[in-house]
Amino acid sequence: MSDEIIQIETPFQFNEENKREFDELIGRYPVKEAAMLPTLHLAQKQAGYISPAVMKYVAELLELTVMKVKDVVTFYPMFFEEPVGKYVIRVCHTLPCALRDCKVVLEHLKAKLGTDIALETNLAKGTTDDGKFTLMKVECLASCDVAPVIMVNDDLYKNLTPEKVDEILAQLPN
Amino acid sequence: MVQERRILYEHLDTPNINTYDVFRQHDGYTRFEKAIAEYQPEEIADMVKEAGLKGRGGAGFSTGEKWSFVPRDIEPRYLCCNADESEPGTFSNRYVLEKNPHLLIEGILICCYAMGIETTYVYIRGEFTLGKKMLDAAIKEAYEQGYLGENVRDTGLNINIYTHPGAGAYICGEETGLIESLEGKRGQPRNKPPFPAVQGVFMKPTVVQNVETLCNLPFIVGNGVEWYTQMGPTYGDARFDPPKADPNTGTKLYCISGDVNEPGVYELDLGLTCTELIEVAGGLRGEEVKAVIPGGSSAPILTHYELDTRLDFTSLTLAKSMLGSGGIIVMNETRNIVDCLLNIMKFYAHESCGQCTPCRWGTPWVRDIVQRIADGDGRQTTITRPKFGVTESGRWGDTGETEEIYEDLDLLENVANNIANVDTMTWNTICVFGIAVSWPAVSYMRKFRPEFEAAIREGKLVTLPVAEATVPPEENYAYQQRIIPKEFADL
Ligand SMILES: Cc1cc2nc3c(=O)[nH]c(=O)nc-3n(C[C@H](O)[C@H](O)[C@H](O)COP(=O)(O)O)c2cc1C
Ligand code: SF4
Repeated sequence: MSDEIIQIETPFQFNEENKREFDELIGRYPVKEAAMLPTLHLAQKQAGYISPAVMKYVAELLELTVMKVKDVVTFYPMFFEEPVGKYVIRVCHTLPCALRDCKVVLEHLKAKLGTDIALETNLAKGTTDDGKFTLMKVECLASCDVAPVIMVNDDLYKNLTPEKVDEILAQLPN
Repeated sequence: MVQERRILYEHLDTPNINTYDVFRQHDGYTRFEKAIAEYQPEEIADMVKEAGLKGRGGAGFSTGEKWSFVPRDIEPRYLCCNADESEPGTFSNRYVLEKNPHLLIEGILICCYAMGIETTYVYIRGEFTLGKKMLDAAIKEAYEQGYLGENVRDTGLNINIYTHPGAGAYICGEETGLIESLEGKRGQPRNKPPFPAVQGVFMKPTVVQNVETLCNLPFIVGNGVEWYTQMGPTYGDARFDPPKADPNTGTKLYCISGDVNEPGVYELDLGLTCTELIEVAGGLRGEEVKAVIPGGSSAPILTHYELDTRLDFTSLTLAKSMLGSGGIIVMNETRNIVDCLLNIMKFYAHESCGQCTPCRWGTPWVRDIVQRIADGDGRQTTITRPKFGVTESGRWGDTGETEEIYEDLDLLENVANNIANVDTMTWNTICVFGIAVSWPAVSYMRKFRPEFEAAIREGKLVTLPVAEATVPPEENYAYQQRIIPKEFADL
């Protein structure tokens, strides 16, 4: 596949720390390609989302075509191809959470943030205008005993009620 | 009441058990040391086989047997620890990773020693950020203490463990999907054979094992096979002469959620009944049990008539369900089964990897059928069709009766059975995700048919009382065909 289809705006590069981490990562696998997921996670942590520039950079690092990287990025729900809010709120809505009223939590979040729910193909739909939050529904987060649960970026919050959601949102740094 | 027997979870709440020092104080790594001091690798593999350990990740396949398929003359061999835990209703691995990661490392060490493996990848689902952090920290400590790295504890063994994050795809829990994902590709399962034991990650022999399975190894080695086999039932298969022993030994980390008062993980001997487990989990929240999902959302549902089924691999298989990952979801009388099925089908429609046509198109199709039933648009046809039978004159012929057909229910069963047929247990797909779709779809519909019919007839979701919603045992296909296994000792 030709790489030219992808418009590259500003080139992307790992910062010092991530470069070091990447160098350590790559030694773990007999083939470079296997470092794909950890590398993409690192890149997303730095860039916020996987832009075409990031894909190009990762492809060069792993000696693959850009299409190969895009192929992988599109498969996994945790990689974003568009900018997302500073805080990504993932609301679990699979059966055990549904049995414990995750709908109430979701509706509350929607009203409170004044946004819709993001679609995997349209993240902007669930992102607040100030770019602070992205609200998404996700499948089982493996915490069914403390349902309903949400994740705010990397942190899990348990046994939620609308009041608890308010508290959590209030204590997030700006 | 059945008592909890905490073995894997014994020290879960001990403060700082995640650090090497505290873990060491509680016998940490002594079992690995015992293994290398007292046993040859092959002996460990034999012990695991004799102990009857079955995989805790889903398939329930004998671990010792799986190890015996691995060719020992091909180098290198790999171990992949499956910490992808994404089956709805399952959450026991998470606590091991977050609270007692050294136990997993010890299990991995024993497996590596037994199989002559030098490299282990722990595939952790992307959302387990805390679990990965804790495990990474523990691995670092283990390197410092000389349990990992080159020449482990002066034995000449080289063992490395690396964690590898997933990125939110359920199908990467399937062993070949996991392998593809580990190799840096889309997590699309491979055709089998060749099985991973022969050609797995990087096309080398690979052992794929769940976290809980590996955590059992230190205790089998430490306390011996005899001690281990005392826990849980050993059934006998009388079709063989002499009867063949079918062990369901050890404890299981039962994850119970939904309508119970104290949801959580309970470590109990295999083989207790559904009713007993609900009692252990603080009893039912509500008046009556309507349904129980016994092994993660992929397992066929059990009705209140089937609550005496023992929760172990053999009993549940013979009851036409499965223990799977041991995620038990309880539903009380207020739940609507159509609504529950809709939720589960949305999950599967989202998670299909899209390789096989029956799964890629069939799963959303099943979801759409359930969706329109739930929305009140379910299709019902009333027709007069020649219903053949014995007529009044005593001859075989057209009885002239009018039949009411629930077109959508027939369609639902048809589509689901064409992804994977639950009656013949054959599937038209690459991986058994197909079965995981059609099992719930068909079993919910057949066992709670009155509720589905009511939704179509009334044009809205109707939650019937438990007795009315459930198909009686005489008409319940699974209940009719179920077999209660016999204890080996009784044969
Ligand atoms: C669709 C699907 C999803 C699966 N998800 C998981 C999972 O999340 N965790 C797991 O340990 N096994 C999962 N399995 C089972 C694995 O394929 C495999 O049987 C297991 O990891 C083997 O380890 P064990 O023998 O220790 O159980 C899944 C299987 C299928 C078909
Ligand atoms: S059955 Fe479904 S999930 Fe499995 S390989 Fe085929 S398309 Fe993918």
